Order: sequence, then C-alpha cells, then structure tokens
Amino acid sequence: MKYLATVNGTKFEIDINEDSHINVDGQRYEIDFQTVGNGPLYSLLIDGNSYEGHIESTDDGWQILHKGDLYMVAIEDERSQRLMSLGGAGVLTKGDYYLKATMPGLVISIPVKEGQTISQGDILVVLESMKMQNELKSPRDGTVLRIQVNPEDTIQQDEVMLVLSPLDDQ
Amino acid sequence: MLRKVLIANRGEIAVRVIRTCHELGLRTVAIFSEADRHAMHVYYADEAYPVGQAQARDSYLNIEKILNIARISAVDAIHPGYGFLAENHEFAQACIDAGLIFVGPTPNAIAAMGDKIVARSIMQKAGVPVVPGTEGEGILRDDEIVTMASKIGFPLIIKSAAGGGGKGMRRVNDQSFMTDALSEARRESEAAFGDGSVYLEKLIQGARHIEFQIIADNHGNVIHLGERECSIQRRHQKLLEEAPSVILSDDIDLRIKMGEVACRAAQSVGYVNAGTIEFLLDEDKNYYFLEMNTRLQVEHPVTEIVTGVDIVKEQIRIARNRRLSRKQDDIELKGWAIECRINAEDSYRDFMPSIGTISTNIIPTGPGVRVDTGVYPGYTISPHYDSLISKVICSGKTRGEALLRMRRALEEYRIVGVKTTIPFHQKLLNSHRFMAGQFNTSFVDDDFHVGDKSDTDDEIAAVFAALAAHQYRQQAAQLVQRGKRDASNWKWVGRWERMHR
Repeated sequence: MKYLATVNGTKFEIDINEDSHINVDGQRYEIDFQTVGNGPLYSLLIDGNSYEGHIESTDDGWQILHKGDLYMVAIEDERSQRLMSLGGAGVLTKGDYYLKATMPGLVISIPVKEGQTISQGDILVVLESMKMQNELKSPRDGTVLRIQVNPEDTIQQDEVMLVLSPLDDQ
Repeated sequence: MLRKVLIANRGEIAVRVIRTCHELGLRTVAIFSEADRHAMHVYYADEAYPVGQAQARDSYLNIEKILNIARISAVDAIHPGYGFLAENHEFAQACIDAGLIFVGPTPNAIAAMGDKIVARSIMQKAGVPVVPGTEGEGILRDDEIVTMASKIGFPLIIKSAAGGGGKGMRRVNDQSFMTDALSEARRESEAAFGDGSVYLEKLIQGARHIEFQIIADNHGNVIHLGERECSIQRRHQKLLEEAPSVILSDDIDLRIKMGEVACRAAQSVGYVNAGTIEFLLDEDKNYYFLEMNTRLQVEHPVTEIVTGVDIVKEQIRIARNRRLSRKQDDIELKGWAIECRINAEDSYRDFMPSIGTISTNIIPTGPGVRVDTGVYPGYTISPHYDSLISKVICSGKTRGEALLRMRRALEEYRIVGVKTTIPFHQKLLNSHRFMAGQFNTSFVDDDFHVGDKSDTDDEIAAVFAALAAHQYRQQAAQLVQRGKRDASNWKWVGRWERMHR
C-alpha cells in the first residue's frame, strides 16, 4: 500500500507492503513498529535507530508528538488520492456550530446574549476548570442561536453549551 | 509532644510532607474528598479519613470538618502544605484554639502578609524597597483607580488585594485599556477570593523574579537558604524554577544584601517557620519587595538540593519549638538545581487543562533526578483541583549539567492519558536564551513559542503517521472479517443445538 504523507509542506511517499520493511521515497528501511503499553505511545526501530512517538488521529490528520515537537501529518492513500482526483473533497460545513465543553467545569459567565451577532475571537463562555478560568472564543462570525447553560452550572465534558448559526442564515 | 500529624492537603505536596514525617517516625493522617479515594496520599498515610465532597469548599477548604478529623484521629499537629488553607489565618487560629500545633507561621503574620496592601506598608516601614503603586490607599472606586493609573504611568499591573498565583492580575499598556482590564480583574478576583478589591503597581520592565527562602524559629533566629530564580512564568504562573540564580551567582554581594533584606522583612512581622520573600530585580539590579508567601512553596525542592536542608523537616523542628539546625554561616549553595512543573495542560493548545485517566506513567530516575508526584497508572486526573501532577527536579555540579540532565529526564518521562507541559519544557530547554540565562518574567509570554521547531524530524513524523494509518486500515479490515466469522458461528451453534435435541 502506498501512502503520501505531507508534513510542514514536505511530501514523502511511503510504501508499506510487509511488516518489517518500508520504502520512503524509494529508499528501503528495516523497521519494527510496536505500541508501548496499549498505545497511543509507539516505539519505532528504523534501521536500528530507536524513536518514540505519541500518535493521535484528529479531524485534521495524524498528530505526532516526538521529542517535544508536535507534527501534523496529512496521510493520503491510493484510494483517497483517487477520490480526491474525482473532486469529492473540500466540502465546506456551513451548518450550526455547537460549542462543546472540552472539559468538565463550572460556568463562570456567558458574556453574550441569544440573538447577538458576534465576530470570530469573541468570548462566548468563561469556564473554570482546575482553578483556571478559560475563555472559550468563537471560531467564526455568527449569531448566537441558543444558550444552553447558565452561570454557576457545573457541566460535563462534551456538553453543548451554546449554539451558533452562520451569519448567512439571518 | 508532636507524634502525629494531619496533612490538610492532597496531591504531590501531601505525599511530600508524609515522606518527611515518616522519616522522622511521625504517624500521619490523610484527608480525602470523594474524588480522591484513590489518590496517592491516601495510600501513603498511616490513617486516612473522608472529608467531604469533591468541591474543595466542601472538603479541603472546610475548616470544621478538618478539625473534626483532627480530633477523632487525635493528632498533635496540622501541616497545611501549600494552597487550600495554607495561608488562611483563621484556619491557623482555629488549629491553635483546638489545642493543635499549626506547622507554619502565626495567624497574625499570615494575616498581615496575606493582605498585599498591609504587607507593602509593613515592608516600607522596615526599609525594604517596594514597587511604586497605590499601596495603602484603602479601597478605591474605579474612577479613582483610573486617575491614579496615569500618575503611576504605563505599563502597569492591576493586582488583587486578596490574591496570589496570578489570579485577578492584568497588565495594562495604556490608559485606553484601563476600564476593561479593571472590570476583568475585579471579576476574576471576586470569583477566586470572594473579594473584588484591587490595587495598581508599576510594571518593572525586564524584571526577573528572584525569591529568598527563609526559615525562622521561636527563639529569634532567622536565616535564609539562598535564592530561587522563578522568571520562567506564563501569565504569572511559574513553570520552571532554579536555584541558584544566574544573576546572583555573578554578584555575590547582591546575594548577601538581598538575603539580609529578606531576613529583615521576615523579622518585621515576627515571622516563624518557613516562608518566602519574593522580589523583582530590574535590569539595573534594583530589587523591590513583591510579596511574602507564608507557607512551603511548590518550588522548595530546588533549595533543598543546593543547601542540603530538608525544609519540611525544618518546619517540624520549628513547630516542636526547637532551634534551627543551622546558622547562616553553615548555609552554602552547592551545585545547581532546576525544577520543571508538569501540569495536566496541553502545551500545544494554549495550556488548556487536560483531564483523563493516566494509562502509562514511567518516571525518570538515574543520577541527579528527583520526582515529586501524586499520580500513577490508573489514576484519573479530575477537574476539581489544580493541574500540577508532578515536579521533576534535576541537579548537577553546574547549571549546564543540571540542564542537560533535565533534558535527558524529560525524554525518559512517559505520561500517557493526559496532555502535559513536558513538551513545553523540552522546547524551553532547547531555547538559546534560556540556555544562556538571558530571560526575564515576560520571556515566555512575549518571546517564546512552543510551536517553533528546532531540529525538524519531518521524515520520522511522516513514517510514524503512515505506519499508524496503515495499522488502522488493517485493524478496520479485521473487524469486518471477525463479523463474518461471528455470523457463521451463530449458524454453527444452531446446528449444534439441533443435533443435541
């Protein structure tokens, strides 16, 4: 299977056909790839050199934490490359935005009102967790459609606090 | 007699205090909230009692419940650790009233130093230089504060009168931001300390945060254990500390002078037990009193390493009414120590708190490495308490050796399950300005970016991602296959059952 990996603008063609060898841009390497414990920490031996990486799959690609550096790697395989060439990619999500709590916490304040037009970067909710106040900002312009929490509320992780509709809908 | 101690705290500091108590042959009592039944301090203590619900105000901040446990468990003393009730003079008084020894300063000293405004005026009277500001002006209205701001000059800092740890603090660069910043600071201060009063202080540009550890006994002896450099801060929260400081190592006279002033500052409030005098040191080596912390500090281990003094042991010695074990002349700073605070925060997402269950926790060891922690594999980091999960302290003969050792230790450290500040520290240790010791308190906020890559390893990252993607595909394929086999298994079971009818 051929993979095309893009990191910081550099592309690598990686061919994986057997467990013990890979080809990177045509260069053959002996590898041993193992999870440490039960993942997401991995150990990679590549031609005898030992590396460790913390690997996570995110919406934007594969996140690799290696020696304190964080890399975002986009991976395309043969199939997705074919799909891309057919023009299936790049759909813009224009729907409502649900502001979810990234962690459990206490709602300190909600400096916006329902119906209010807001700009990208405006503070939507101030949430306290681990004794720190975190200002959750709007990722885009829009209108506050619904506020589903009140100050002093204790909320759970992933709970929807506020819904934002795109400006175009108004 | 002091034979049994209740530790009114949790996490790494409770574990730290328990360790010294056990070395001294003292029996220890832990308290734990509903969220902390499986916390390490509960396992390490000789006795442990539930103190209430997860929220701190129902447990670790509840004086009545804690004193009740102290009575039931018949302890002789209470050690407050840091945070929670450590700087609450009412708690210290309540301990004394209950006939217990409070391992810390007197309620009066805590109260005086806890009110930043009172503290500043006491220091001024004792001849300790303070930063220009609105100290001693009493409670001011917003419009009065705005007027005074222009007199002090910009940039300045708004600080919470009741505060600490960076809460309720705002930097203001010019008059136009003053009103907004003031309301934010009041809001945060009100939320954190239940008191919205604030004061202004001139911002000393390019300043370093240098603090002196002092210890004082009940017999009038006060000594200092040298300084700690705590200029590596993000939004006024310390992240890395070292002892000694690069600056004072090049200027021994200044160290002697500042040490004397620190001792004098402690004496001016009749201080006993361990405490810390924080100073700002400007580019021209003028120093100003910032505040006094009337408790054990998070970063106390770096001082312990360079002086060889166990500060908790000394605290208990003082609480037992003994004299200090050392005189000022006995204190010699040997070698170098650095501490990195490992917080459950995402270095790459604006230090957003991270919660979860720790699945892997491999702690660095080897020469010159000390780790103070309260977590272990299987432990769940809860959102109720602060995010400090571990402190890595590395020492060496020189700063260079300590620094290289810290790099090595952080690379060994594996914490899986929550995001941590380890990547931040790894990047910091690689920064040339940090290595050269050329930094001040605004370095991390203004001149350092964790995302800047030093030696990029793009190819290795690409290989990791491709292998992970490949493994993911294979596993997905296997799942489908297993489903097929399962279906045929049902058929097989059906046939088997019919056969045995």
